[in-house]
Amino acid sequence: MSEPMIAIQGLTKRFSTADGRKHLAIDDVNVEVAEGEFVSILGPSGCGKSTLLYMVGGFVAPSAGAITVQGRPVTGPGPDRGPVFQEFALFPWKTVLENVMYGLRQQGVSKAEAEARARALLDMVHLKDFADFYPKELSGGMRQRVAIARTLAYQPQILLMDEPFGALDAHTRTVLQNELLGIWERDRKTVLFVTHGVDEAVFLSDRVVVMTRAPGRIKKVVEIDLPRPRVRAELLVNRRYQEYIVELEQLIEDVHLEAAGA
Amino acid sequence: MKSALRKLGPAASTVLSLGALLVLWEILARLAQIDGFPPATEALVQVPLILGERESLASIGASLWRMFLGGALALCFAVPVGLAMGRNKRIAQALNPVLTAAYPIPKAALMPIIMLWFGVGDLSKVLVIFLGVSLPLIYHSFHGAHAVDEKLLWSAMAMGMKPVARLFKVVLPSALPDVLLGCRVGLAMALIVMISSEMIARQSGAGDLLFNALDMALYGDVYAMIVILAAIGFVLDWVFERVRRRLVHWAESRQDAMVPGGGV
Amino acid sequence: MSASNIFAGERLRGTAASVLPLALILLAWEAVCRAGLVAPTLLPAPSVVLLRWIALLPDPDFLHHVAQTMIRLLSGFAIALAAGVSIGLLASRGGGGLLEPVIRVLAPIPKIALYPAFVLIFGFDHASKIALVVADAVFPILLATFHGARSVEPKLLWSAWAAGASRRATIFTVVLPSALPSILTGCKIALLISCVTVFLAEMISSTDGLGHLLIRSARSFRIVDMFVPLVTISTIGLLLNAALVAVRNRLLVGHGNHR
Repeated sequence: MSEPMIAIQGLTKRFSTADGRKHLAIDDVNVEVAEGEFVSILGPSGCGKSTLLYMVGGFVAPSAGAITVQGRPVTGPGPDRGPVFQEFALFPWKTVLENVMYGLRQQGVSKAEAEARARALLDMVHLKDFADFYPKELSGGMRQRVAIARTLAYQPQILLMDEPFGALDAHTRTVLQNELLGIWERDRKTVLFVTHGVDEAVFLSDRVVVMTRAPGRIKKVVEIDLPRPRVRAELLVNRRYQEYIVELEQLIEDVHLEAAGA
Repeated sequence: MKSALRKLGPAASTVLSLGALLVLWEILARLAQIDGFPPATEALVQVPLILGERESLASIGASLWRMFLGGALALCFAVPVGLAMGRNKRIAQALNPVLTAAYPIPKAALMPIIMLWFGVGDLSKVLVIFLGVSLPLIYHSFHGAHAVDEKLLWSAMAMGMKPVARLFKVVLPSALPDVLLGCRVGLAMALIVMISSEMIARQSGAGDLLFNALDMALYGDVYAMIVILAAIGFVLDWVFERVRRRLVHWAESRQDAMVPGGGV
Repeated sequence: MSASNIFAGERLRGTAASVLPLALILLAWEAVCRAGLVAPTLLPAPSVVLLRWIALLPDPDFLHHVAQTMIRLLSGFAIALAAGVSIGLLASRGGGGLLEPVIRVLAPIPKIALYPAFVLIFGFDHASKIALVVADAVFPILLATFHGARSVEPKLLWSAWAAGASRRATIFTVVLPSALPSILTGCKIALLISCVTVFLAEMISSTDGLGHLLIRSARSFRIVDMFVPLVTISTIGLLLNAALVAVRNRLLVGHGNHR
């Protein structure tokens, strides 16, 4: 196997609480993600899975351990790793088009070219007619489409998605999952996808990393061996899909029981 | 340096920065060599002399007493008005334009007119402080009462609480963080109005002492009076902030708590 | 929201309804004066003040005083704005630990007490009054900038950094726009304080300006002429506030609803 796209070794994160005590959020996590792979990190809330993602993004510094991306250690944020947050994190003072153009402009792409590329991306996420709207004028699903387009615009090799559909209603969530899968199947970016939804993880991923709570450790890594392109209606009646769902639900339940017992 | 200051805690870092400011003053004054800008040490030695003098001490005391009176009157008047405005649209609509028109008027500037009406005595001075404190108090009480969670009131209604009881048991406590913020602004305002109205009227009080020293070219005394007034401002604010924190420790901390504001 | 509505948050229906109470007060005041219930040397009728004001508006001497006040007011505010925003931004990006205790000491000081010192250092002309306006107006702007910049949603910054923006670039493309609503709120407070401060400074010691006009009239008990500068400075305050609200509405098109 060639060099992994992302290699996480012995990653540990401690936080100091308000009263000065140390809280172990993530304990000795080791993961490798291959180029073009779609890996989900699945766990209950408070298991530090978002923190793990922030450390890969270079937004939060680890307490111990190492993260390398394409063999180079992560020292800070960079345009090779594009984040998509649950909160969308769009610039409210910029229009949809300006938001998508932002990264390109920061990297010195000319205004005309940035605009052309941004418009093409907006077309791809079905927001062609909303280029001049402000984020506050859009629904949650549309905002997240803009956020995805903004990140895709500067062509990161890795997408870091932090429960990107967590704030959306059930219907919009499935629509966006389908769209994300469509985009991913076209250009096969490496994706690290944090979620607490079992069905979402199985539907999208090649592999699912299940995490425990307080401290966050890897409980199990489950390979999702389902054919692609995936179609939701077909999967729902697929025996293997159902078995994955049951297995992961069981694992999550165990995590909850362990946490309650501890 | 930065992390060292943070470790020291707010009290120690405040004292340190106060010291640093005094040292800066001392150095600047010695470098500038202007008659009207004496070094900190020359001003500070005058402070105990001024405070030791019966007459000036009484004058400052009288100023503070008037300030307290004006502030207390404003508190009794402005908080109920503000709360009522926040809970009743009609009252808000009736008073809003009046207050909006009154807001930009410099209250201390009314001193000459008020002195024509009520003479040069305490009444005029207390009245002008009352006016200056009332507006920010009404404003913040209004905002506090306006932002009361409807569902809290619904719960109180469901429990059978009467309107007057709701005002004192639900609206006032909910609005308390805002009301106290208004009190803090009002306190700053009271001091500012007190000093400036005394500077304008030139009859008695701390502001008058300050300008008398200026007229007699007693530069050390001028700066000593400034130090005394600054210290009064700082101490009053510090004490009030302690009280405020204790009263509303349950509320989420507000960022604008540090913003001084409002018209004079 | 009406432009001059200081007590924002409540949308008032119809300008007639909102101006009515004020009109009633003025009418009552007028009636009391006309009925001879108060001596005209103590309280002039509003119509008399208004007529006098209108008569004075084209008067070059009066306009000179207005201009002097405006020069001090606007230059003081401009300096406070530039200084407040830059110091606030700098402090929020580091150095805040040093700045905060200094502000804690300086902010609660009644700045008007510094005026004699400014007179001694800068003289009786423009400079001392401008210095006082700066000292009074800089804190609301500085604090608002500092808090606004401190409370920038970190994920906005992360998004910008991930997109390749440098730390310095994000100060202008993320931090400043994020803090803008807060900065403008600070400006609103500071602008009003500037109006009041310049007027008081001119009343305390000056040979020109609106504040001086009030004192000059007070010395000769010309009550109508005492009201005119007050009406003028209040009008200036309301107009500047309305201008700021207009600027704010322009600048904050994308931002959500802010007070």
